[in-house]
Amino acid sequence: MALKHASPNDFRSSVWNDWCPGCGNFGIVAAMYQMLAELNVDPEKTVIVSGIGCSGKTAHFINAEGVHTLHGRSLPFAEGIKLSNPELNVIVNVGDGDLLGIGAGHFVAMGRRNMDITVLMHDNTVYALTKGQAAPTLKRGEQTKSLPRPNMQDAINPIGLALASGYTFIARSYSSRIKHLKEIIRQAIEHRGSAFVDVLQPCVTFDDIHTYDYYNKRVYDIQENGWDPLAKNEQEAVQKATQALVKSYSMDERIPIGVFYRNISVPTFDERLNERLPYYIKNPPAKQPIEKDGNAIIDQEIFENTFSDFITEIVR
Amino acid sequence: MKEIRYILGGPQGGGLETSSQVLSWAFAREGYNVMSDREYFSNIKGRHSYVHATILSENDTPALAYPVNVLGAMDAETVFTHSYDVAEGGYMIYNRDESQVKVVSVASMEDEYKEILMKKFSESGISGTIESVADYLARERKINIIGLSYRELLGELQKSVNVIAAQASRYVSSILIGAVAALTGLNESSLDYALQRRFKSGEVYEHNLAFSKIVIKQVKGSISLDKPIMGGGKRLVVSGNDAVAMAKVVGGLRFQSYYPITPAADESFTLEEYERIGGGSDSIVVFQAEDEIGAIAAAIGSSLTGARSASATSGPGFDLMTEGLGWAGINEVPVVVTYYQRGGPSTGQPTRGGQSDLLSAVFASHGEYPRIVIASGDHEEAFWDTIDALNFADMFQTPVIHLVDKFLANTIASMPVPQVSNAKIGRGKLVATNLEHYKRFDYSSSISPRAFLGNYVMWYTGDEHNETGHITEESKNRVMMMKKRMSKINDIEAGIPESRRYSLYGEEKPDIVLLGWGFVKGSALRAIRDLKVEGIKASYLHIRSFIPFPKEIITKIFREYGADRIIDVEHNYEGQTGFLVAMNTGNMVKRRILKYTGRPIYSNELAVAVKRIISGSTEEVLDLGS
Repeated sequence: MALKHASPNDFRSSVWNDWCPGCGNFGIVAAMYQMLAELNVDPEKTVIVSGIGCSGKTAHFINAEGVHTLHGRSLPFAEGIKLSNPELNVIVNVGDGDLLGIGAGHFVAMGRRNMDITVLMHDNTVYALTKGQAAPTLKRGEQTKSLPRPNMQDAINPIGLALASGYTFIARSYSSRIKHLKEIIRQAIEHRGSAFVDVLQPCVTFDDIHTYDYYNKRVYDIQENGWDPLAKNEQEAVQKATQALVKSYSMDERIPIGVFYRNISVPTFDERLNERLPYYIKNPPAKQPIEKDGNAIIDQEIFENTFSDFITEIVR
Repeated sequence: MKEIRYILGGPQGGGLETSSQVLSWAFAREGYNVMSDREYFSNIKGRHSYVHATILSENDTPALAYPVNVLGAMDAETVFTHSYDVAEGGYMIYNRDESQVKVVSVASMEDEYKEILMKKFSESGISGTIESVADYLARERKINIIGLSYRELLGELQKSVNVIAAQASRYVSSILIGAVAALTGLNESSLDYALQRRFKSGEVYEHNLAFSKIVIKQVKGSISLDKPIMGGGKRLVVSGNDAVAMAKVVGGLRFQSYYPITPAADESFTLEEYERIGGGSDSIVVFQAEDEIGAIAAAIGSSLTGARSASATSGPGFDLMTEGLGWAGINEVPVVVTYYQRGGPSTGQPTRGGQSDLLSAVFASHGEYPRIVIASGDHEEAFWDTIDALNFADMFQTPVIHLVDKFLANTIASMPVPQVSNAKIGRGKLVATNLEHYKRFDYSSSISPRAFLGNYVMWYTGDEHNETGHITEESKNRVMMMKKRMSKINDIEAGIPESRRYSLYGEEKPDIVLLGWGFVKGSALRAIRDLKVEGIKASYLHIRSFIPFPKEIITKIFREYGADRIIDVEHNYEGQTGFLVAMNTGNMVKRRILKYTGRPIYSNELAVAVKRIISGSTEEVLDLGS
């Protein structure tokens, strides 16, 4: 049951937060506490799904349903949860290595489905919990603190990949602009469809390049610059996506944050399912009784009618 | 004759599967028991595929065996490939227009097989044309050769139903339907019924019916198949994939995730076709994931919300699922994987069968967690075992692996219509209502009451965790939690009785005991009957569950009969059951009959191999079948 007057503290779990002091993740979880309270969500109907790494612990720090999954696999876990109980509000907190390295296939696939799930990517350019290897968001030639040699692989453009995959809400924020981040998270949660937020987040221990200072100097809000991300139909979608893609390539001197793209013309996966299974949203898999006093719901008549294509009467 | 067997062969994609279905339906309608195996390459069109069926007049499960009474050939390759498969006095139907085709010129035939055949042909004095093979079979093996001009038959069809030549050529596989119907004296009404079932009404049905009549007139000869014992009632005619899918519907499955793989994918298609249960408001979500890692993860996620959830896959897909299974293990999540084994390792033999994944299933995933592994031997077992698997998963809150194989998946069989009132649904320990301070992993009992996401705030993690589901690395908690989880092995041992873990067939005081599982069942049962006629008393111990293992009965047979009289029969190289027998009972298997060609063990080759073992051989490796 939702609380009457939820405060951010109500969403703080009793687990001690063991991120490094100063970690950018603190900003993300603080923004989440605030937004969950503002939205006054029901903790029992809100599922925080996470992957592996520092960001994976987020599920334990929030007082809502928490599912801390496998490295790379948070999205399919989240999708299974959402598919069987679409009334649940599913939010994924996942690292950049987890989502765009080992889990990239799942990331692309969820975009194609426009599943109504919010993905918050903790983007710190390194695999922090294993001591600072290069993540797929670290640029070629960069050498963060613990790398023995400069990085040889190019960085993925996360916004570009989300656009190409079909996400219908695509944004970027920065963990130390909590107000901005909170607002973006709200929009992402309220958006119906696959929402992706690239959250820039300094790793104070292993990344001496992408520091608070580094981001503070560079980030600027594209909404303040007048960018309207909304696509209301298919035609606008191509136009907006193309322009958003151009913006997403700017990652050096000036780093854009804000909503890049929002498309409200694509049916969500639960709507698609509901077309085929007209009772799906009202009566999803998780809510269907499957037994009556220990017996199957299906009786002999239903069975034989359903599978009449497989049944023959012996006629001599 | 009590039974007849036939092989119908032709190019993959040429309609053979349809012909096999039609004949299976027609025979089943008359009250015969049917078992129709389909052997095919990993190919869409052109390579040699064939149907190998047994039609039995008695009320028993038919076994696959050689030789066959009828060989129906769509093309030259079938004649060459199966020329030694026909019994004396049997029939071969082939295309007379191809009489001069030579084995060397069949492009689709694999070089390895061509070489073997040409050597055999030269030893038999066969020049290598279809005609020379037919002459040899007629002369030396007393086989009735029915050479039909398929061109002329199709011409007649064209005239009678007014189709163009290109369309008529699609009906070549229907010639075989007509031929089998003519030789076995199948009732016209049964054939009509079966064609209607397959094609509904309309042109294709009408053409097929007209064509079968044209063919029946041309085919001279008959096989005296006994009238069936069963004179009434209803029968189910299904593939193994279909039987499992139906059982999932009955068993309350509400979520199935999968990634396309042979031979598992058809099950998910059947489920999708029947996704709306009884046309009412209940439905199953069938989810095509991006890979098997995603498939198992989605099934587990779904299960956390309370929906009964499963996936279906085969070897390569199962390998990808193992990390996910471990997560389900540590988080005590009920989830079922229907595991259709094929030939491995790696891509191996993607369209052929095997039983080489037993140890992989039993030991899947790193770390230690309880799991259940059951196996089905035929369509009826597969149906009921599927429901058991779903119940076991809920009762013990742990993954259940249900082993089946390609043989079962693709074989069409007749079976009794399941009485669904016998299907019991047990959801295990669930939280009743509004529980204060709910702890998902309460360690006051090995199986904690389960609540679902959406009802109570709770946590799950792949890390070792405390009672509420939060990570902890504290030593005492680790011991408590490991003990809680692992002691479910005792619950499983206690909850699934020994009698559920095996079936014992045959002689009470046998000279020899066959030990097997899965699709070995049909051939083993037939072989022990055939051996009895020859004065050999044999029994068959059919293992239906590997975890928990039928320790008592296996210990007993080793004690009573000794290892020299126990033969392990399996579709793998290592005799994997032997390892599990040793692990669970301390007994060593000493005699083995193994087959790993990807083709099923046939009852006739099994009976011969048993006799060889009785005469002192310790291991027989079978390779019958093309």
